[in-house]
Amino acid sequence: MLRIINLALMLSMLVGVFALYAIKYDARQLEARVQMQERDLEKLENNLAVLIAERAHLARPKALEPLARNLGLAPIAPRQYLRLDAPPAANAVE
Amino acid sequence: MRLLSTSAGQAWIAAGPKLPATRQRTLLALAALIACFVAIAGQLLRLGLKAEADFHLNIAEPIGQSWSRPDIVDRHGQLLATDVATHSLYADPQLVLDIDEVVEKLTAALAGLDRAEVRRALADRGRRFAWIARGLTPRQAQRVHDLGLPGLAFRTELKRVYPLGALAGHVVGTVNVDNKGLVGLERWLDDMGKVEAVQGTDRSDKPALRLSLDVGVQHAVSEELQAAVARYSATGAAGLVLDLTSGEVLAAASLPGADPARPSDWLELRHADKLMSGTFELGSVFKTLTVAMALEAGVADLNSLYDVRRPLTIGANTITDLHPSGRPLSVREVFLRSSNVGAGLIALDLGADRQRQFLATLGLIEPMRTEAGSIAPPQLPKHWGRIETVTVSYGHGIAVAPLQLAAAMAGVIVGTKVTPTFLAQASPPGTRLVSQATSARIQEILRLNVTSPVGTGRRADAEGYRVGGKTGTAEMPGRGGYQAKAVISSFIGAFPMDAPNYLTLVMLFEPEPVAGIAPGITAGVNAAPTTARIVHRIAPVLGLLPRLIGRAEPTDSQFDAPSVAQ
Repeated sequence: MLRIINLALMLSMLVGVFALYAIKYDARQLEARVQMQERDLEKLENNLAVLIAERAHLARPKALEPLARNLGLAPIAPRQYLRLDAPPAANAVE
Repeated sequence: MRLLSTSAGQAWIAAGPKLPATRQRTLLALAALIACFVAIAGQLLRLGLKAEADFHLNIAEPIGQSWSRPDIVDRHGQLLATDVATHSLYADPQLVLDIDEVVEKLTAALAGLDRAEVRRALADRGRRFAWIARGLTPRQAQRVHDLGLPGLAFRTELKRVYPLGALAGHVVGTVNVDNKGLVGLERWLDDMGKVEAVQGTDRSDKPALRLSLDVGVQHAVSEELQAAVARYSATGAAGLVLDLTSGEVLAAASLPGADPARPSDWLELRHADKLMSGTFELGSVFKTLTVAMALEAGVADLNSLYDVRRPLTIGANTITDLHPSGRPLSVREVFLRSSNVGAGLIALDLGADRQRQFLATLGLIEPMRTEAGSIAPPQLPKHWGRIETVTVSYGHGIAVAPLQLAAAMAGVIVGTKVTPTFLAQASPPGTRLVSQATSARIQEILRLNVTSPVGTGRRADAEGYRVGGKTGTAEMPGRGGYQAKAVISSFIGAFPMDAPNYLTLVMLFEPEPVAGIAPGITAGVNAAPTTARIVHRIAPVLGLLPRLIGRAEPTDSQFDAPSVAQ
């Protein structure tokens, strides 16, 4: 009887050790994966920052103005405004 | 159960005779342990005695620490400055095999690398870390990597980039190679503790710093200034747009500009920020303050007459007008014709003490500060006597930073203190500086100076947007006195004048006459039309409705068209 119990205990201990090791191994694997993903995340965040900066650079007014002028666009001239709710006379006075 | 305990007892008894063997084993284990401790002690002793051991402790090496900074954006969220990760090349001189080879190959791969400097960095074999080049592009890094040289390695670190280049460079400021703020709002970020020391590329998680600047307005102002510099062959220019209700600076430009990405720009005097880091005698613009002072003190109203027919003589000095008037002028006319004699007489009615006190109320005596740094302190007359009272009345003998004068002008236009700020924030209403009646009179004559046929600011009239303002043409001090040909022409204005919302300042340095469009070098023919162009361009951006509709579209030449009666 005792031997069986001892054996069972021993066996369960071995299983426990194995399970513990397996869990620890998994955890280490997960940790490595987390680290890798964190590194990827950081890399992506950095790439995103570069892209945002590039977009801001491409959309800078100094670059856009010649393009807009090329399309025939210009600052809004005063005569382009009309007050729709006012009589025509109001649209022509200072 | 009983059986179990008996057998256990038997087993215990059976172990009895083996006791000596156990003791032996215990002693053996003990001996092993002691041997271990002796070995450790021996090694410690050896290390202690052998002081110059063959290992180095490299704790003090400056392993690339840098600073992560929050982004800087304009009032609408457009990006002005951000951090990106870049590759930085460093060397471990102990691992470098052939210094000559490394120097040769590196300078061939990276243009602009200083040969002597690389050699010096690699020569010190005692070091384990020496920067070679920082902030490389991915392509450059790949090129160096492909050389396959031992002893070279990369770190990724944060580098500040400025997507808009030199636009608003003076306000934004710049950082050093470690990403630490040096000047401008970058410095302010450091001073406010908004930056964090980092190893590697941890970007700041702090919210972006939102500036009061409007990139659209800023661009329009600097483009128009650039065009004015070219048109009038000026050596420099400065421009400012200030929100009169909140004190927010919407645009602040100074040409030649300073690019945050080019450190060399910041060392040259001609690139210095003319709005904040220099003081200038700004001339007749000060007459606005002189008139405001007289109105506020009640010693004169706009119709009070002053006899300006003869030059004003004080001691050995004589003050004359460019175009002397043949009759006494009212305060209003003194202002419109920009009479130095008249301004001097008005100031003399009040005296030096009250003049100084009034300027102090406007904040022109004490040094001023903004988030973008200290502003050059005003240069005041050492002795404030009668002659100084007269010269200060028309803006000579007193030199202030243009931003500080703009704040004072804003004060007399709206009547309450306006504190310029570069952050997007609603500042609480300032204390009252002059009465509502005085500020209304000032608004009236500023607008009149643009609409009246005798006003000096006629060409500042941007159709529909009711500009008002005062011109100033000040001779620049040079060797042996003032130079008649080299002037700073300026125009400080506000619009729309029926309820002033924005203040504009335009300064042109050493403008020259231009055949056909600018007969002289006075502010009325260069700074004033430049202001009109700026207002015409930024008013739609600011969402301002023009009052005048249905007339011909203004043409470029219209701004320069000589108006009636010079």
